[in-house]
Amino acid sequence: MAGHDIFRLQDVTVHYGQRTALDGITAHIPCGALVALVGPNGAGKSTLLRALLGWLPLTRGEIRLGDKHPRHLHPRLAYLPQRPEVDWDFPISVREVVAQGRWPSLGLFGRFTAAERERVDRALEELDLTALAGEQIRRLSGGQQQRMFLARAVAQGADIFLLDEPFAGLDLAASAELVHLLHRWLAQGRTVIAAVHDLALARTHFSHALLLDTRLVAAGPAAETLSDANIDLAYHRRMPVLGVRP
Amino acid sequence: MNALYDLLLAPFAYDFMQRGLLSAVLLSISGGLLGSVLVLRRLALMGDALTHSLLPGLALSWLLLGRGPLALLAGALVAGLLSVMASALLSRLTRLKEDAAFGAFFLVAYAAGIALVSQLGTRVDLLHFLFGHILGVGPSDLALTAAASGLTLAAFVLAYRGIVLEVFDPIFARAAGMRGGWFYAGFLALAVLNLVAGLQTMGVVLALGLFLLPAASAYLWCDRFAWMLGVSALLGMIGSTAGLAVSFHTGLSSGPAIVLALGVIFLGSAALSPRYGLLHALALARRERRAVRHTVD
Repeated sequence: MAGHDIFRLQDVTVHYGQRTALDGITAHIPCGALVALVGPNGAGKSTLLRALLGWLPLTRGEIRLGDKHPRHLHPRLAYLPQRPEVDWDFPISVREVVAQGRWPSLGLFGRFTAAERERVDRALEELDLTALAGEQIRRLSGGQQQRMFLARAVAQGADIFLLDEPFAGLDLAASAELVHLLHRWLAQGRTVIAAVHDLALARTHFSHALLLDTRLVAAGPAAETLSDANIDLAYHRRMPVLGVRP
Repeated sequence: MNALYDLLLAPFAYDFMQRGLLSAVLLSISGGLLGSVLVLRRLALMGDALTHSLLPGLALSWLLLGRGPLALLAGALVAGLLSVMASALLSRLTRLKEDAAFGAFFLVAYAAGIALVSQLGTRVDLLHFLFGHILGVGPSDLALTAAASGLTLAAFVLAYRGIVLEVFDPIFARAAGMRGGWFYAGFLALAVLNLVAGLQTMGVVLALGLFLLPAASAYLWCDRFAWMLGVSALLGMIGSTAGLAVSFHTGLSSGPAIVLALGVIFLGSAALSPRYGLLHALALARRERRAVRHTVD
């Protein structure tokens, strides 16, 4: 599978003023993988996601997406922030939000043809939102709201999904549904990179992991990367204080 | 029938009333569009502060360049830009948060404006400036209003998708490769342009009423953005026509009369809106209380 890396990070370093948010990250992210970004608070998970989007000036190093800088691949890249800062009272329907996914490639004046409408229909269907398409967005549950934004990304034509803490705030049923969806995407060859706090979930359901603590602690297949020894390293052995080990 | 004619139509037989009405209708279109963005982006109070800060710029340009519409526009644009930049700088570089920085700065600007205007001429001038003077709407004012309204409408038609994304979800807009800077610069320029255009009819203090009240009312009725834009413009037209008629019959300044008429529409909407109104909320609460009592019984 060598040569099928979707992201190549070389010595990626980001400073916020005096503070180092990411320090010399070198890693390859394979195409068609389900990658968990794991690490303590402040380890740089969100920063890495924003760097992958091409939003942050790197202090050092470079990120390549395929052969390109991420900024030139927008329709393929979708980003879902931790808690989307949208106004849930906005006068807009679920379908209209999903249709926004088509706008970046249509531009301001491109006509919204029958083919475009069909793509929106398919995205709604894929995320099981067809019945809710006409609703104002406040009337959705948290899990449904998240699926709406994922549907917008699918309508956009994205095949690389960057998700910031997608499991935060979901109940058990909604979490299970999201895991199911991510596995389906994995089977379709899509790539997902998600910041994840739940170690057990990352170990069992993700194919790969990057373990961060500002620096890269470990990277590779999820089970090996998230070994107890590595976790201790990343969390500076702070875990036993909370846990049961002596 | 005759009474209705006397009440609503007779006032508009006069030239100055027709000019005032045309100006108000044109402003209702742009006001509805800009006001909807103001309401949805939660910039209503910021807009209020902004109108007050235009006063010193208007007064200075009147003092130095005369009271032609273009001179006033230049003065207001400079004052608006300076105030926004100065308060943004204050909130970024000092401990002050945005609302305190904006609020404090705009208050001082307003006081400076009143001091300047009172140096200009008579008390009557000051009152006209603050509250509008329908007799003062001349052909050049009307031309400026038409330009302001037309430009705003054109901007919304041409950049509709960009505006929706920027108002609804700026992070997605950014991920899609859009730049938000042009949006706020353009919005500020259009807002100032329309506020100056509304000066003669509405006055500095109340010009924002034609933006804010119709949009806030429409927000209570509409679940689609495009509808909200149209309904705010329509409510603005109805309110300003009624307000002008009231002003004609009572001798009240046109600005307050229009804002009061729009206020009636707003309060009516807040009470009666079937999904988001007060009566609906009260009925819902009562039904819930009754349901609780039932289960306890």
